[in-house]
Amino acid sequence: MKVLYLYCKDRPLIGFGYFFVFFLVILAIFADLICPWPPQTANPDDYLQAPSWRHLFGTDETGMDIFSRCIYSIRLDLSIAFLGTAVSAIVGTAIGALVGYYEARGRLKTVFSSFTMRALDVIQSFPVFVFAIALVAIFGQGLYSIIAAIAFVNMPIYVRLMRTQALSIRQMRYVEAAYLSGLSDVRLIIKHIVPNSMGPILSHLSVNVGWSVLLAAALSFAGAGVEAPTPEWGSMIAVGFKNIVTGQWWPSTFPGIVLGLTVFSFALIGASVEVLADPVRRRAAIAKY
Amino acid sequence: MALLRYIGRRLLFVLPQLFGIVAVSFFLLKMIPGDPALLMLGPLASQEAIDEIRSVMGLDKSLIEQFIIYLERVLSGDLGTSWQTTKPVMEDLLKRFPATMELVTLSLLFALIIGIPIGILASLLKKSIINKFSTYYGLLAGSLPDFWLGLIFIFVFYTILGWAAAPMGRLDLGILPPTVVSGSYFIDSLIAGDWETFGNVVAHLTLPVLTLGLINAGPIIKMTQSTMDRLLESDHIRYARSCGLGEFQIVRRAFRNSLPSVLTIVSVLYSFLIGGAVLVEIVFSWGGAGQYALSGVLNADINPVMGFVVWSAILCLVLYLIVDLLYFAIDPRLRD
Repeated sequence: MKVLYLYCKDRPLIGFGYFFVFFLVILAIFADLICPWPPQTANPDDYLQAPSWRHLFGTDETGMDIFSRCIYSIRLDLSIAFLGTAVSAIVGTAIGALVGYYEARGRLKTVFSSFTMRALDVIQSFPVFVFAIALVAIFGQGLYSIIAAIAFVNMPIYVRLMRTQALSIRQMRYVEAAYLSGLSDVRLIIKHIVPNSMGPILSHLSVNVGWSVLLAAALSFAGAGVEAPTPEWGSMIAVGFKNIVTGQWWPSTFPGIVLGLTVFSFALIGASVEVLADPVRRRAAIAKY
Repeated sequence: MALLRYIGRRLLFVLPQLFGIVAVSFFLLKMIPGDPALLMLGPLASQEAIDEIRSVMGLDKSLIEQFIIYLERVLSGDLGTSWQTTKPVMEDLLKRFPATMELVTLSLLFALIIGIPIGILASLLKKSIINKFSTYYGLLAGSLPDFWLGLIFIFVFYTILGWAAAPMGRLDLGILPPTVVSGSYFIDSLIAGDWETFGNVVAHLTLPVLTLGLINAGPIIKMTQSTMDRLLESDHIRYARSCGLGEFQIVRRAFRNSLPSVLTIVSVLYSFLIGGAVLVEIVFSWGGAGQYALSGVLNADINPVMGFVVWSAILCLVLYLIVDLLYFAIDPRLRD
């Protein structure tokens, strides 16, 4: 905590990133207390109202309050992003560790490793976004499909990151020592390989959460994700799409700003984790204190 | 000779990848829940009718036989029919892919035009404002949803200022598209020498290209800057400097050596945008391939989706092939 404070002191923008994510979480938890209007109740008398004290961010074409909807969206968007990222990180890390550890160790194991890597090549040669949409189309629309799609398209990165780490760590003396003392392969991977290669994976996690929020919103905007009355930034932008040409800018603009700030904050956090996870760079960054 | 061997070795990789793409798309198709025959005929169909359709579609054969049939069909360019347009998917895609490629190519050119100078300047002037700007520009550009930025541009430049063309497709309604040569209106109207059409095409391209270009300039700036940083510290540049070469010469040399990394990031962005531009296509009613696939997804019209997935993966393969050839042209070490 202290290191983090010192690091952010010189870098106010990064401090803002941490603050904003913290702020979002608070808003999401206390959404029921904060929101002046219910997020899904249309009020036909108040449709397409410009921002005012009554409706801070205005209302959309059905008369739903945009401010309240923006806040309730945090719950859904962040849950999707966290779950999707967590699943892809756990599965990807596990596969990556196995592939890296077994690579060039006996014929069958090598076949397994190279087969996995070639399979990843093929998966990655599909355009990410289209692949995600196709997955949602196949599993049917719904929350779990979006999470599965996000997890699936993000997984190759974790496999690659972990494989590179495992390849170098398995050469270390302490791993050899553990192996000679009779530890099984699985325990060796869990006890030594995985914990010692978390650095690059941690720094990718934060960026990945932000990116997953963006992907979830993009899927919903395209109509292949969360559907309209449920508050979600991407689908709110899609609902306001029709109004922008006729001059009502607020239904699309506000959710976009909140979405952009969220992703931006996670990117800032990711940039700082990259430095803070590395002991040498961490010391250099706060050297003057 | 070295070039031929290089291409030959590279092509050897393409075949298994192509096979992989078709295999993955086949398994995606098979993963769709429900019996396709039942989906086609509806729940009230008799058992005989279902059996007949199943044998016509080859569904009663083994999975491997089905895969071989599928492979033959895809290789002969038969991707099925879209029930929405009632045309063969291949024909539809041939009309729509040029629109997407035109948009993506011009956007990336624009991103390069603004990205490379800013990246180089940020790397040369370490303490300048441009250095700070480029750092945060990269983070910000990666965070903004492109479809949202497109909407904001429409609001500002079309609704308020009235400068831009209506965000409704690639041409004004009254203007006939130019004779098809490449399928890209930008190129075709130039070939036809029809300046009025060309002007209209450019007017419609401006906002979407601006949107995608500004967003994708971020990673290009970042890559240019970090590579230039590394190269300006490298031994051969230090050598050039100690020989007394002028600053312009030094930057020129360093930049030439940073081209492979810039090329890499452009190829990654390109392959992402072939599918990823779909949201901007929707915003500007572009009528590109991504939009076509998406309407397939939303209307349970699976053939266009699979056709698009297979073809964009193939386009990516071709793209990476071209990029590898460009590496060969840029990097003399590969020629040995």
